[in-house]
Amino acid sequence: MSGLAQRQDAFLGAILDDAAALPPGWDAERAPGLAIYRNNYRTALVEALRATFERTERLVGEAAFHRAAAHHCIMHPPSSWTLDRAGVGFPETCAELFARDPDVAELGALEWAMHEAFTARDTAPLTHTQFAETCAGFAEDAWDGLQPVLMPDIRCLPAHHDLVRLWSSLGTDDAEADLAALGSAHCAVVWRAGERPVFVLRPAWEGEALARFRAGASFGAVCAAMIDTLGEEAAVAEAGAMLARWVGEGWVERLGQ
Amino acid sequence: MNPIASFQGFGLGLRRPHYADFLDGGVAVDFVEVISENFMVEGGKPLRVLEQVRARHPVILHGVSLSVGSAHGLDQEYLARLRALADRIEPLWVSDHLCWTRTSAHNSHDLLPLPLTREALDVVCANIDRAQTALGRPMLFENPSSYLTFPEDEMPEWEFLTQMAQRTGCYLLLDVNNVYVSAHNHGFTARDYIAGLPLDRVWQIHLAGHEPGTIAVDTHDREVGEGVWELYAETLALTGPVATMIERDDRIPLLGELLRELDRARAIAAGADRTMAA
Repeated sequence: MSGLAQRQDAFLGAILDDAAALPPGWDAERAPGLAIYRNNYRTALVEALRATFERTERLVGEAAFHRAAAHHCIMHPPSSWTLDRAGVGFPETCAELFARDPDVAELGALEWAMHEAFTARDTAPLTHTQFAETCAGFAEDAWDGLQPVLMPDIRCLPAHHDLVRLWSSLGTDDAEADLAALGSAHCAVVWRAGERPVFVLRPAWEGEALARFRAGASFGAVCAAMIDTLGEEAAVAEAGAMLARWVGEGWVERLGQ
Repeated sequence: MNPIASFQGFGLGLRRPHYADFLDGGVAVDFVEVISENFMVEGGKPLRVLEQVRARHPVILHGVSLSVGSAHGLDQEYLARLRALADRIEPLWVSDHLCWTRTSAHNSHDLLPLPLTREALDVVCANIDRAQTALGRPMLFENPSSYLTFPEDEMPEWEFLTQMAQRTGCYLLLDVNNVYVSAHNHGFTARDYIAGLPLDRVWQIHLAGHEPGTIAVDTHDREVGEGVWELYAETLALTGPVATMIERDDRIPLLGELLRELDRARAIAAGADRTMAA
Protein backbone atom coordinates (compact mmCIF):
# COMPACT_ATOMS: atom_id res chain seq x y z
CA MET A 1 0.00 0.00 0.00
CA SER A 2 1.37 3.44 -0.93
CA GLY A 3 2.21 6.06 1.67
CA LEU A 4 -0.74 8.16 0.53
CA ALA A 5 -3.13 5.22 0.80
CA GLN A 6 -1.91 4.51 4.32
CA ARG A 7 -2.31 8.17 5.23
CA GLN A 8 -5.85 8.25 3.85
CA ASP A 9 -6.87 5.03 5.59
CA ALA A 10 -5.55 6.36 8.90
CA PHE A 11 -7.22 9.77 8.39
CA LEU A 12 -10.62 8.31 7.50
CA GLY A 13 -10.32 5.80 10.33
CA ALA A 14 -9.82 8.70 12.74
CA ILE A 15 -12.87 10.49 11.32
CA LEU A 16 -15.16 7.46 11.56
CA ASP A 17 -14.18 6.67 15.15
CA ASP A 18 -14.34 9.53 17.63
CA ALA A 19 -12.24 7.53 20.07
CA ALA A 20 -9.46 6.81 17.58
CA ALA A 21 -5.99 8.16 18.26
CA LEU A 22 -4.54 10.82 15.98
CA PRO A 23 -3.00 9.35 12.80
CA PRO A 24 0.72 8.55 13.02
CA GLY A 25 2.97 11.62 12.95
CA TRP A 26 0.24 14.09 13.93
CA ASP A 27 0.79 16.31 16.92
CA ALA A 28 -1.94 17.65 19.20
CA GLU A 29 -2.17 20.89 17.20
CA ARG A 30 -4.02 18.95 14.51
CA ALA A 31 -6.70 17.66 16.88
CA PRO A 32 -9.02 20.71 16.55
CA GLY A 33 -8.93 20.42 12.76
CA LEU A 34 -9.66 16.70 12.93
CA ALA A 35 -12.60 17.47 15.22
CA ILE A 36 -14.11 19.67 12.50
CA TYR A 37 -13.85 16.86 9.94
CA ARG A 38 -15.39 14.41 12.42
CA ASN A 39 -18.27 16.80 13.02
CA ASN A 40 -18.76 17.42 9.28
CA TYR A 41 -18.92 13.67 8.64
CA ARG A 42 -21.40 12.94 11.41
CA THR A 43 -23.57 15.98 10.67
CA ALA A 44 -23.83 15.26 6.94
CA LEU A 45 -24.94 11.68 7.52
CA VAL A 46 -27.39 12.44 10.30
CA GLU A 47 -28.94 15.25 8.24
CA ALA A 48 -29.21 12.94 5.23
CA LEU A 49 -31.03 10.37 7.39
CA ARG A 50 -33.31 13.06 8.85
CA ALA A 51 -34.24 14.20 5.34
CA THR A 52 -35.03 10.65 4.20
CA PHE A 53 -36.76 9.41 7.35
CA GLU A 54 -38.63 12.51 8.48
CA ARG A 55 -41.78 10.63 9.54
CA THR A 56 -39.74 8.02 11.44
CA GLU A 57 -38.09 10.90 13.29
CA ARG A 58 -41.49 12.35 14.17
CA LEU A 59 -42.64 8.93 15.38
CA VAL A 60 -39.72 8.33 17.77
CA GLY A 61 -38.84 11.93 18.61
CA GLU A 62 -35.81 14.02 17.70
CA ALA A 63 -33.48 12.81 20.47
CA ALA A 64 -34.13 9.10 19.95
CA PHE A 65 -33.82 9.49 16.19
CA HIS A 66 -30.51 11.31 16.54
CA ARG A 67 -29.14 8.52 18.73
CA ALA A 68 -30.29 5.91 16.22
CA ALA A 69 -28.80 7.84 13.30
CA ALA A 70 -25.46 8.29 15.10
CA HIS A 71 -25.44 4.58 15.97
CA HIS A 72 -26.12 3.72 12.32
CA CYS A 73 -23.23 5.92 11.13
CA ILE A 74 -20.84 4.21 13.54
CA MET A 75 -21.99 0.65 12.81
CA HIS A 76 -22.50 1.09 9.06
CA PRO A 77 -20.16 3.74 7.61
CA PRO A 78 -21.29 4.65 4.09
CA SER A 79 -19.57 3.16 1.08
CA SER A 80 -21.56 4.70 -1.77
CA TRP A 81 -20.47 7.88 -3.57
CA THR A 82 -23.87 9.42 -2.98
CA LEU A 83 -25.42 10.56 0.29
CA ASP A 84 -28.72 9.42 -1.20
CA ARG A 85 -27.70 5.88 -0.17
CA ALA A 86 -26.85 6.81 3.43
CA GLY A 87 -30.14 5.21 4.52
CA VAL A 88 -29.20 1.74 3.30
CA GLY A 89 -29.83 -0.58 6.26
CA PHE A 90 -31.35 2.12 8.47
CA PRO A 91 -34.71 0.31 8.76
CA GLU A 92 -32.77 -2.73 10.00
CA THR A 93 -30.97 -0.47 12.49
CA CYS A 94 -34.41 0.73 13.66
CA ALA A 95 -35.57 -2.89 14.01
CA GLU A 96 -32.59 -3.55 16.26
CA LEU A 97 -32.81 -0.37 18.36
CA PHE A 98 -36.61 -0.18 18.62
CA ALA A 99 -37.21 -3.92 18.95
CA ARG A 100 -40.25 -3.40 21.19
CA ASP A 101 -41.87 -1.04 18.69
CA PRO A 102 -41.89 -2.87 15.35
CA ASP A 103 -43.94 -0.03 13.83
CA VAL A 104 -40.74 2.07 13.80
CA ALA A 105 -38.86 -0.28 11.48
CA GLU A 106 -42.01 -0.78 9.40
CA LEU A 107 -42.37 2.95 8.87
CA GLY A 108 -38.64 3.30 8.25
CA ALA A 109 -38.75 0.63 5.55
CA LEU A 110 -41.69 2.39 3.93
CA GLU A 111 -39.86 5.74 3.90
CA TRP A 112 -36.78 4.10 2.40
CA ALA A 113 -38.87 2.46 -0.33
CA MET A 114 -40.56 5.80 -1.11
CA HIS A 115 -37.10 7.41 -1.25
CA GLU A 116 -35.84 4.81 -3.71
CA ALA A 117 -38.96 5.05 -5.87
CA PHE A 118 -38.47 8.83 -6.21
CA THR A 119 -35.46 8.42 -8.50
CA ALA A 120 -36.14 4.98 -9.98
CA ARG A 121 -35.66 4.45 -13.70
CA ASP A 122 -38.21 6.17 -15.93
CA THR A 123 -40.39 3.68 -17.74
CA ALA A 124 -43.88 4.05 -19.18
CA PRO A 125 -46.36 1.55 -17.69
CA LEU A 126 -48.57 -0.66 -19.82
CA THR A 127 -51.93 1.03 -20.50
CA HIS A 128 -55.32 -0.65 -20.31
CA THR A 129 -55.59 -0.35 -24.11
CA GLN A 130 -52.20 -2.00 -24.67
CA PHE A 131 -53.14 -4.70 -22.17
CA ALA A 132 -56.43 -5.38 -23.92
CA GLU A 133 -54.80 -5.42 -27.37
CA THR A 134 -52.11 -7.83 -26.21
CA CYS A 135 -54.56 -10.20 -24.58
CA ALA A 136 -57.27 -10.04 -27.25
CA GLY A 137 -55.94 -12.92 -29.27
CA PHE A 138 -54.93 -15.14 -26.37
CA ALA A 139 -55.98 -18.76 -26.49
CA GLU A 140 -57.25 -20.16 -23.18
CA ASP A 141 -53.95 -21.86 -22.39
CA ALA A 142 -51.85 -18.80 -23.31
CA TRP A 143 -52.82 -17.12 -20.03
CA ASP A 144 -50.98 -19.74 -18.03
CA GLY A 145 -47.64 -18.75 -19.59
CA LEU A 146 -48.20 -15.01 -19.27
CA GLN A 147 -45.42 -13.20 -17.38
CA PRO A 148 -46.24 -9.63 -16.36
CA VAL A 149 -43.00 -7.62 -16.06
CA LEU A 150 -43.39 -5.20 -13.16
CA MET A 151 -42.31 -1.56 -13.22
CA PRO A 152 -38.76 -1.09 -11.87
CA ASP A 153 -39.91 1.16 -9.01
CA ILE A 154 -42.40 -1.30 -7.46
CA ARG A 155 -41.50 -2.28 -3.89
CA CYS A 156 -43.52 -4.57 -1.64
CA LEU A 157 -43.05 -4.53 2.15
CA PRO A 158 -44.70 -6.56 4.92
CA ALA A 159 -47.17 -4.44 6.93
CA HIS A 160 -48.62 -5.21 10.34
CA HIS A 161 -49.80 -1.67 11.09
CA ASP A 162 -52.12 0.69 9.29
CA LEU A 163 -49.37 2.55 7.48
CA VAL A 164 -51.84 4.68 5.54
CA ARG A 165 -53.16 6.22 8.77
CA LEU A 166 -49.71 6.40 10.33
CA TRP A 167 -48.18 8.07 7.27
CA SER A 168 -50.97 10.59 7.04
CA SER A 169 -50.83 11.44 10.75
CA LEU A 170 -47.08 12.18 10.66
CA GLY A 171 -47.23 14.62 7.76
CA THR A 172 -46.39 17.71 9.80
CA ASP A 173 -43.90 18.58 12.53
CA ASP A 174 -46.50 18.94 15.29
CA ALA A 175 -48.23 15.66 14.36
CA GLU A 176 -49.33 12.93 16.74
CA ALA A 177 -48.89 9.37 15.51
CA ASP A 178 -52.11 7.52 14.69
CA LEU A 179 -50.91 3.97 15.28
CA ALA A 180 -53.15 0.94 14.83
CA ALA A 181 -52.33 -2.72 14.24
CA LEU A 182 -53.92 -4.45 11.26
CA GLY A 183 -56.17 -7.44 11.90
CA SER A 184 -54.58 -9.53 9.19
CA ALA A 185 -51.30 -9.72 7.34
CA HIS A 186 -50.89 -7.06 4.68
CA CYS A 187 -48.20 -5.60 2.49
CA ALA A 188 -47.42 -2.02 1.49
CA VAL A 189 -46.89 -1.67 -2.24
CA VAL A 190 -44.77 1.38 -3.14
CA TRP A 191 -44.38 2.83 -6.60
CA ARG A 192 -44.06 6.16 -8.38
CA ALA A 193 -47.17 7.68 -9.93
CA GLY A 194 -45.66 10.12 -12.42
CA GLU A 195 -43.10 11.99 -10.33
CA ARG A 196 -44.64 11.24 -6.91
CA PRO A 197 -43.89 8.15 -4.82
CA VAL A 198 -47.11 6.62 -3.44
CA PHE A 199 -48.17 3.45 -1.63
CA VAL A 200 -51.23 1.36 -0.86
CA LEU A 201 -51.92 -1.46 1.57
CA ARG A 202 -52.90 -4.79 0.05
CA PRO A 203 -53.59 -8.24 1.48
CA ALA A 204 -50.45 -10.27 2.02
CA TRP A 205 -51.38 -12.77 -0.70
CA GLU A 206 -51.23 -9.97 -3.27
CA GLY A 207 -47.72 -9.09 -2.12
CA GLU A 208 -46.77 -12.75 -2.50
CA ALA A 209 -48.10 -12.66 -6.07
CA LEU A 210 -46.03 -9.55 -6.79
CA ALA A 211 -42.93 -11.25 -5.38
CA ARG A 212 -43.55 -14.33 -7.52
CA PHE A 213 -43.94 -12.28 -10.70
CA ARG A 214 -40.80 -10.34 -9.77
CA ALA A 215 -38.98 -13.68 -9.53
CA GLY A 216 -40.14 -14.60 -13.04
CA ALA A 217 -43.15 -16.80 -12.26
CA SER A 218 -45.87 -17.24 -14.87
CA PHE A 219 -49.50 -16.23 -14.37
CA GLY A 220 -50.39 -19.90 -14.17
CA ALA A 221 -47.87 -20.53 -11.38
CA VAL A 222 -49.11 -17.49 -9.47
CA CYS A 223 -52.73 -18.64 -9.85
CA ALA A 224 -51.77 -22.06 -8.50
CA ALA A 225 -50.19 -20.44 -5.46
CA MET A 226 -53.26 -18.26 -4.97
CA ILE A 227 -55.47 -21.37 -5.02
CA ASP A 228 -53.32 -22.81 -2.23
CA THR A 229 -53.79 -19.64 -0.19
CA LEU A 230 -57.35 -18.52 -1.00
CA GLY A 231 -59.05 -21.66 -2.26
CA GLU A 232 -60.03 -22.23 -5.88
CA GLU A 233 -63.21 -20.18 -6.04
CA ALA A 234 -61.73 -17.06 -4.49
CA ALA A 235 -58.47 -17.39 -6.42
CA VAL A 236 -60.28 -17.64 -9.75
CA ALA A 237 -62.36 -14.60 -8.87
CA GLU A 238 -59.36 -12.56 -7.70
CA ALA A 239 -56.59 -13.41 -10.18
CA GLY A 240 -57.94 -11.68 -13.28
CA ALA A 241 -59.20 -8.70 -11.32
CA MET A 242 -55.84 -8.37 -9.61
CA LEU A 243 -53.96 -8.22 -12.89
CA ALA A 244 -56.39 -5.66 -14.31
CA ARG A 245 -56.04 -3.58 -11.13
CA TRP A 246 -52.24 -3.65 -11.38
CA VAL A 247 -52.41 -2.42 -14.96
CA GLY A 248 -54.74 0.35 -13.81
CA GLU A 249 -52.33 1.35 -11.03
CA GLY A 250 -49.43 1.43 -13.49
CA TRP A 251 -47.50 -1.44 -11.89
CA VAL A 252 -46.98 -3.44 -15.09
CA GLU A 253 -44.36 -2.42 -17.63
CA ARG A 254 -45.12 -5.06 -20.24
CA LEU A 255 -46.40 -8.57 -20.75
CA GLY A 256 -43.93 -11.30 -21.51
CA GLN A 257 -44.45 -14.94 -22.36
CA MET B 1 -9.27 17.17 -26.12
CA ASN B 2 -10.98 20.44 -26.99
CA PRO B 3 -10.35 23.38 -24.65
CA ILE B 4 -13.28 24.76 -22.68
CA ALA B 5 -14.75 27.87 -24.27
CA SER B 6 -14.50 30.85 -21.97
CA PHE B 7 -17.79 31.99 -20.46
CA GLN B 8 -18.19 35.08 -18.33
CA GLY B 9 -21.21 35.95 -16.30
CA PHE B 10 -22.84 35.66 -12.91
CA GLY B 11 -24.72 32.66 -11.59
CA LEU B 12 -26.23 30.87 -8.63
CA GLY B 13 -26.35 27.32 -7.40
CA LEU B 14 -29.65 25.56 -8.05
CA ARG B 15 -31.00 24.53 -4.65
CA ARG B 16 -34.33 22.86 -3.88
CA PRO B 17 -36.01 25.86 -2.16
CA HIS B 18 -35.51 27.83 -5.39
CA TYR B 19 -36.66 25.20 -7.90
CA ALA B 20 -40.00 26.92 -8.40
CA ASP B 21 -38.32 30.30 -9.02
CA PHE B 22 -36.09 28.84 -11.70
CA LEU B 23 -38.88 26.82 -13.29
CA ASP B 24 -41.07 29.93 -13.46
CA GLY B 25 -38.26 31.61 -15.42
CA GLY B 26 -37.06 35.17 -15.34
CA VAL B 27 -34.31 34.69 -12.72
CA ALA B 28 -31.57 37.19 -13.60
CA VAL B 29 -28.58 34.88 -13.82
CA ASP B 30 -26.23 34.06 -16.69
CA PHE B 31 -25.77 30.44 -15.62
CA VAL B 32 -26.88 27.93 -13.03
CA GLU B 33 -24.55 25.54 -11.20
CA VAL B 34 -25.88 22.23 -9.91
CA ILE B 35 -24.39 19.57 -7.64
CA SER B 36 -23.75 16.77 -10.12
CA GLU B 37 -24.49 13.93 -7.69
CA ASN B 38 -28.03 15.21 -7.04
CA PHE B 39 -28.84 14.48 -10.67
CA MET B 40 -26.78 11.33 -11.29
CA VAL B 41 -29.94 9.31 -10.73
CA GLU B 42 -31.80 6.82 -12.88
CA GLY B 43 -34.98 8.86 -13.33
CA GLY B 44 -37.75 10.82 -11.68
CA LYS B 45 -38.34 14.44 -10.85
CA PRO B 46 -34.75 15.67 -10.34
CA LEU B 47 -33.85 15.06 -13.97
CA ARG B 48 -37.11 16.67 -15.17
CA VAL B 49 -36.31 19.78 -13.13
CA LEU B 50 -32.75 19.96 -14.41
CA GLU B 51 -33.82 19.57 -18.04
CA GLN B 52 -36.37 22.36 -17.65
CA VAL B 53 -33.80 24.65 -16.02
CA ARG B 54 -31.29 23.73 -18.73
CA ALA B 55 -33.80 24.83 -21.36
CA ARG B 56 -33.61 28.35 -19.87
CA HIS B 57 -30.02 28.66 -18.62
CA PRO B 58 -26.52 27.38 -19.31
CA VAL B 59 -25.67 24.82 -16.63
CA ILE B 60 -22.43 23.90 -14.86
CA LEU B 61 -22.03 20.46 -13.28
CA HIS B 62 -20.18 20.77 -9.98
CA GLY B 63 -19.32 17.50 -8.25
CA VAL B 64 -18.33 16.60 -4.71
CA SER B 65 -17.57 12.87 -4.99
CA LEU B 66 -15.07 12.33 -7.80
CA SER B 67 -12.37 11.96 -5.12
CA VAL B 68 -9.58 12.89 -7.47
CA GLY B 69 -7.05 12.71 -4.66
CA SER B 70 -7.90 9.15 -3.71
CA ALA B 71 -4.91 6.82 -3.63
CA HIS B 72 -7.40 4.02 -4.36
CA GLY B 73 -8.23 5.43 -7.79
CA LEU B 74 -11.55 6.53 -9.28
CA ASP B 75 -14.95 4.85 -9.10
CA GLN B 76 -15.73 3.71 -12.64
CA GLU B 77 -19.49 3.53 -12.05
CA TYR B 78 -19.41 7.10 -10.78
CA LEU B 79 -17.52 8.23 -13.87
CA ALA B 80 -19.97 6.47 -16.18
CA ARG B 81 -22.92 8.17 -14.52
CA LEU B 82 -21.23 11.56 -14.63
CA ARG B 83 -20.48 11.08 -18.33
CA ALA B 84 -24.12 10.15 -18.98
CA LEU B 85 -25.33 13.26 -17.16
CA ALA B 86 -22.87 15.50 -19.00
CA ASP B 87 -23.94 14.05 -22.34
CA ARG B 88 -27.57 14.63 -21.42
CA ILE B 89 -27.22 18.19 -20.07
CA GLU B 90 -24.38 19.54 -22.23
CA PRO B 91 -22.99 21.75 -19.47
CA LEU B 92 -20.67 24.70 -19.88
CA TRP B 93 -18.16 22.59 -17.98
CA VAL B 94 -17.78 19.90 -15.32
CA SER B 95 -15.96 20.67 -12.08
CA ASP B 96 -14.99 19.00 -8.81
CA HIS B 97 -12.55 19.61 -5.97
CA LEU B 98 -8.89 19.03 -5.22
CA CYS B 99 -9.60 16.65 -2.39
CA TRP B 100 -10.37 13.04 -1.57
CA THR B 101 -13.57 11.67 -0.11
CA ARG B 102 -13.12 7.91 0.21
CA THR B 103 -10.89 4.94 0.77
CA SER B 104 -11.48 1.53 -0.78
CA ALA B 105 -13.98 0.76 1.99
CA HIS B 106 -15.81 3.89 3.07
CA ASN B 107 -16.91 7.34 1.96
CA SER B 108 -16.62 10.38 4.19
CA HIS B 109 -18.99 12.56 2.13
CA ASP B 110 -16.66 15.41 3.00
CA LEU B 111 -13.96 17.17 1.01
CA LEU B 112 -10.86 15.94 2.81
CA PRO B 113 -7.47 17.64 2.36
CA LEU B 114 -4.47 16.07 0.70
CA PRO B 115 -0.90 16.13 1.88
CA LEU B 116 0.86 18.51 -0.48
CA THR B 117 3.50 16.04 -1.60
CA ARG B 118 4.92 14.94 -4.93
CA GLU B 119 3.38 11.51 -4.36
CA ALA B 120 -0.09 13.06 -3.92
CA LEU B 121 0.48 15.26 -6.97
CA ASP B 122 1.27 12.18 -9.08
CA VAL B 123 -1.91 10.46 -7.84
CA VAL B 124 -4.05 13.53 -8.49
CA CYS B 125 -2.64 14.05 -12.00
CA ALA B 126 -3.16 10.39 -12.93
CA ASN B 127 -6.74 10.49 -11.66
CA ILE B 128 -7.48 13.76 -13.48
CA ASP B 129 -6.12 12.26 -16.71
CA ARG B 130 -8.44 9.27 -16.27
CA ALA B 131 -11.43 11.42 -15.42
CA GLN B 132 -10.94 13.81 -18.32
CA THR B 133 -10.47 10.90 -20.71
CA ALA B 134 -13.60 9.17 -19.40
CA LEU B 135 -15.64 12.37 -19.76
CA GLY B 136 -14.09 13.32 -23.08
CA ARG B 137 -13.57 16.87 -21.87
CA PRO B 138 -11.21 18.86 -19.64
CA MET B 139 -12.47 19.64 -16.15
CA LEU B 140 -12.18 22.43 -13.60
CA PHE B 141 -10.88 21.71 -10.10
CA GLU B 142 -11.60 23.83 -7.07
CA ASN B 143 -9.09 24.75 -4.38
CA PRO B 144 -10.34 23.33 -1.06
CA SER B 145 -10.74 24.94 2.33
CA SER B 146 -8.92 22.99 5.01
CA TYR B 147 -8.64 22.75 8.76
CA LEU B 148 -5.31 21.04 9.11
CA THR B 149 -2.05 20.58 7.23
CA PHE B 150 0.17 17.52 7.07
CA PRO B 151 3.65 17.12 8.55
CA GLU B 152 4.85 15.70 5.24
CA ASP B 153 3.79 18.72 3.11
CA GLU B 154 6.44 19.56 0.51
CA MET B 155 4.98 22.58 -1.28
CA PRO B 156 2.35 25.30 -0.82
CA GLU B 157 -1.12 24.60 -2.17
CA TRP B 158 -0.84 27.17 -4.97
CA GLU B 159 2.26 25.41 -6.30
CA PHE B 160 0.44 22.07 -6.13
CA LEU B 161 -2.47 23.55 -8.13
CA THR B 162 -0.10 25.15 -10.63
CA GLN B 163 1.72 21.89 -11.33
CA MET B 164 -1.59 20.02 -11.46
CA ALA B 165 -2.94 22.39 -14.12
CA GLN B 166 0.29 22.31 -16.13
CA ARG B 167 0.54 18.52 -16.13
CA THR B 168 -3.12 17.69 -16.85
CA GLY B 169 -4.42 20.64 -18.86
CA CYS B 170 -7.27 21.05 -16.38
CA TYR B 171 -8.68 24.44 -15.48
CA LEU B 172 -9.16 26.00 -12.06
CA LEU B 173 -12.26 26.93 -10.15
CA LEU B 174 -10.98 29.52 -7.70
CA ASP B 175 -13.02 29.59 -4.50
CA VAL B 176 -12.05 32.94 -3.02
CA ASN B 177 -13.73 32.11 0.29
CA ASN B 178 -11.71 28.89 0.55
CA VAL B 179 -8.49 30.83 0.03
CA TYR B 180 -9.58 33.28 2.73
CA VAL B 181 -10.50 30.47 5.16
CA SER B 182 -7.35 28.41 4.58
CA ALA B 183 -5.12 31.51 4.78
CA HIS B 184 -6.62 32.27 8.18
CA ASN B 185 -6.29 28.66 9.36
CA HIS B 186 -2.76 28.02 8.12
CA GLY B 187 -1.15 31.42 8.35
CA PHE B 188 -0.29 32.17 4.73
CA THR B 189 -1.22 35.33 2.86
CA ALA B 190 -4.28 35.06 0.64
CA ARG B 191 -2.80 37.49 -1.88
CA ASP B 192 0.36 35.37 -2.19
CA TYR B 193 -1.80 32.31 -2.80
CA ILE B 194 -3.78 33.92 -5.61
CA ALA B 195 -0.76 35.59 -7.17
CA GLY B 196 0.96 32.20 -7.18
CA LEU B 197 -1.75 30.52 -9.28
CA PRO B 198 -1.73 30.21 -13.07
CA LEU B 199 -4.46 32.83 -13.37
CA ASP B 200 -4.94 32.22 -17.10
CA ARG B 201 -6.38 28.81 -16.12
CA VAL B 202 -8.99 30.27 -13.73
CA TRP B 203 -12.32 29.71 -15.52
CA GLN B 204 -14.70 30.27 -12.62
CA ILE B 205 -14.86 31.87 -9.17
CA HIS B 206 -16.93 30.77 -6.16
CA LEU B 207 -17.97 33.15 -3.40
CA ALA B 208 -19.48 31.91 -0.14
CA GLY B 209 -19.80 32.63 3.55
CA HIS B 210 -17.83 31.09 6.39
CA GLU B 211 -17.97 30.86 10.15
CA PRO B 212 -15.15 32.90 11.68
CA GLY B 213 -13.22 31.57 14.68
CA THR B 214 -9.86 30.32 15.83
CA ILE B 215 -10.35 27.86 13.00
CA ALA B 216 -12.55 29.42 10.31
CA VAL B 217 -15.05 26.92 8.85
CA ASP B 218 -16.33 26.95 5.27
CA THR B 219 -20.04 26.66 6.11
CA HIS B 220 -21.84 28.13 3.07
CA ASP B 221 -24.61 29.10 5.48
CA ARG B 222 -24.42 32.88 5.47
CA GLU B 223 -23.67 35.89 3.31
CA VAL B 224 -20.24 36.45 1.80
CA GLY B 225 -17.92 38.13 4.32
CA GLU B 226 -16.40 41.59 3.78
CA GLY B 227 -12.86 40.20 3.69
CA VAL B 228 -13.88 37.78 0.95
CA TRP B 229 -15.45 40.58 -1.09
CA GLU B 230 -12.19 42.56 -0.82
CA LEU B 231 -10.17 39.53 -1.90
CA TYR B 232 -12.59 38.98 -4.81
CA ALA B 233 -12.00 42.55 -6.03
CA GLU B 234 -8.23 42.09 -5.78
CA THR B 235 -8.49 38.76 -7.64
CA LEU B 236 -10.48 40.25 -10.51
CA ALA B 237 -7.89 43.01 -10.82
CA LEU B 238 -5.41 40.23 -11.64
CA THR B 239 -7.58 37.88 -13.70
CA GLY B 240 -9.97 40.15 -15.55
CA PRO B 241 -13.58 39.00 -15.96
CA VAL B 242 -14.28 35.46 -14.72
CA ALA B 243 -17.60 33.60 -14.38
CA THR B 244 -18.65 34.11 -10.76
CA MET B 245 -21.25 32.48 -8.58
CA ILE B 246 -22.58 32.71 -5.05
CA GLU B 247 -22.70 29.36 -3.18
CA ARG B 248 -25.23 28.81 -0.40
CA ASP B 249 -25.89 25.28 0.82
CA ASP B 250 -27.35 25.74 4.30
CA ARG B 251 -29.81 28.21 5.84
CA ILE B 252 -30.77 28.98 2.27
CA PRO B 253 -32.49 32.38 2.09
CA LEU B 254 -35.06 33.68 -0.35
CA LEU B 255 -33.71 33.99 -3.86
CA GLY B 256 -33.79 37.79 -3.69
CA GLU B 257 -31.08 37.86 -1.03
CA LEU B 258 -28.74 35.81 -3.20
CA LEU B 259 -29.50 37.94 -6.23
CA ARG B 260 -28.54 41.03 -4.23
CA GLU B 261 -25.19 39.42 -3.42
CA LEU B 262 -24.79 38.58 -7.10
CA ASP B 263 -25.46 42.24 -7.95
CA ARG B 264 -22.63 43.19 -5.60
CA ALA B 265 -20.34 40.78 -7.46
CA ARG B 266 -21.41 42.38 -10.75
CA ALA B 267 -20.64 45.86 -9.40
CA ILE B 268 -17.19 44.79 -8.18
CA ALA B 269 -16.46 43.16 -11.53
CA ALA B 270 -17.56 46.29 -13.39
CA GLY B 271 -15.23 48.35 -11.19
CA ALA B 272 -12.35 45.98 -11.88
CA ASP B 273 -13.07 46.25 -15.62
CA ARG B 274 -12.89 50.03 -15.48
CA THR B 275 -9.63 49.86 -13.49
CA MET B 276 -8.06 47.46 -15.98
CA ALA B 277 -9.22 49.54 -18.94
CA ALA B 278 -7.65 52.64 -17.41
